[in-house]
Amino acid sequence: MSSLRTCVRPVVQAAKAWSYRSRAPANTYATLREIESRLKSIKNIEKITNTMKIVASTKLSRVQRAMFDSRAYGETSDEIFKKAETVPATEGNKLIIVSSSDKGLCGGIHSQISKAVRAKLALEPDADLVILGDKAKTQLARTYASNIVLSFNQIGKEIPTFAEAQSIADQIFKLGKKYDSIEIFYNRFKSGISFEPTSVPAFTEESLKTSPNFTAYDIEEDLAQDLTEFALANAIFWALAEGHACEQSARRSAMDNASKNAGDMIGRYSILYNRTRQAVITNELVDIITGASSLQ
Amino acid sequence: MSALRLATRSVLRSRQLAAPWRGSFRGYAEVPSDRIRLNLTLPHQSIYKDVDVVQVNLPATTGDLGVLANHVPTVEQLRPGVIDVVEESGATKQFFVSGGFATVQPGSLLSINAIEAFPVEDFSPEAIRAQLAEAQKNATSGSEIDQVEAKIELEVLEALAAVAK
Repeated sequence: MSSLRTCVRPVVQAAKAWSYRSRAPANTYATLREIESRLKSIKNIEKITNTMKIVASTKLSRVQRAMFDSRAYGETSDEIFKKAETVPATEGNKLIIVSSSDKGLCGGIHSQISKAVRAKLALEPDADLVILGDKAKTQLARTYASNIVLSFNQIGKEIPTFAEAQSIADQIFKLGKKYDSIEIFYNRFKSGISFEPTSVPAFTEESLKTSPNFTAYDIEEDLAQDLTEFALANAIFWALAEGHACEQSARRSAMDNASKNAGDMIGRYSILYNRTRQAVITNELVDIITGASSLQ
Repeated sequence: MSALRLATRSVLRSRQLAAPWRGSFRGYAEVPSDRIRLNLTLPHQSIYKDVDVVQVNLPATTGDLGVLANHVPTVEQLRPGVIDVVEESGATKQFFVSGGFATVQPGSLLSINAIEAFPVEDFSPEAIRAQLAEAQKNATSGSEIDQVEAKIELEVLEALAAVAK
C-alpha cells in the first residue's frame, strides 16, 4: 500500500508542470487537448474540401459542354491553315501565350503547364511571354521574368467568353511588335481525370501567305491579316475554354483525394483520441482508488 | 458439336456480309457531288457541324455570295447580315450574323466562324428600335472609343432592322 503511494507521489509532482489531464507518459500520447483541436480542424478541412469537390463536379458538366463547343469552333477556324498546310516560321520574333488561371487547389495544372513552357523557353530563350492567369505568372516569373511582356488576371472565374479572348488578342496587337511565330500553350482535356499540356501554333499573315496550298484559295490581299488576327482570337478562346475544363476536373479529383485523406486522418485521430481519453480516465481512477484504498 | 460449329460459322458469315454495307455512314473525305458540307460554328454553340446542305448564301464584305457544291476555294469576311441555309430537306433556315469569316475549302467544305448568329425569327422589332436609338445617341457623344463602338453597333442594328419583321 505505502509503496504504491510513494510510486504515485513523484508522478504527481512531475506532472504539476503539465496540465492536469496530461498525466499520461510523455512519449506515447500528445495532450488530449491537442488531439481534440487537431481532430476539429481536420473535420473542418474535410467539410471544406468536400464542398469544393461538389462545386467542381456540378460545374464540370456545363464546363465540358462549353469546351466541346469551343473545340468545334477552334477546329473550324483551324481548317484553312490545315488545308493550306501552313507551317510556322522557325526564325524571327517568337511569342508564347500561356493559358492558366488565378486559383489553385487544382492538382498539377499550373505546374505542368509551366514545366512545358520552361522546356520550350530553354530551346528559345528570347521568346516573349504573354501569361493568362496569376498562378503561371508566379511560377514563370521566378526564372523568366524578363521575357514576360504582358500578363492578365481575373482568368478562370467562369467559363471564358469570346469577348475576353478578343480583348486579349487586341492587347497583344496593341503591343505593336511584329511576331513571326506565335504558340499557345494550354492544358488539353483528354478525359474527366486526365489532361495534357499541349501547344498549338497561331499562324501569322506571312506564314499563311507562304503556305504551299495558299494559291488554291481565291482571297483578297488585305483579308489575310484580318483572318490571322481573327484566328488568333479564336485560338486563344479555345485554349482558355479547354484549360478551364481541365482545371475544373483536376480540382474535382484533387479535392476528392483531399477529402478521402482527411477522412482517413479523422478515423485515425478519433481512435487515438478515444484511446488517450480512456488512458486519462484510467489514470484518474487509479489515483482515486489508490487514494481511497490508502484511507481504509 | 458439329451443329455448334455450323452455328458459329453461319453467324460469322452473316456478320461479314453485314460489314461492307455502309448505309448512311458519312465518311470524312467524300461529300456527295451536289452537296456542300457545312460547319457553322459559334464560340458557344455549333449550329451546323459536318452537315450536308444544298446551298448557303453569305453576306460578305465584298458582296452577297451564294455557295453551291464545288465552289472555288475562297475566304470571305462576313458583314452583318443574313446567312441562308438551304438544307437537304428543302427547308431554308435564316440566321442573322454580326460578323465572322467564311472559308470554302477544296472538296466542297464550307467553314464559317461567326461570333454571334441567331434565327431571324428570334428578334423583336421593338428591341431593335430601342437599341438603335441608344446607339445613335452614343455615336455622337462619349469618348472616341465609345463612339467607334456605337458606330459599329449602329451598322449591325441597321442591317438587323432591315431584315427583322
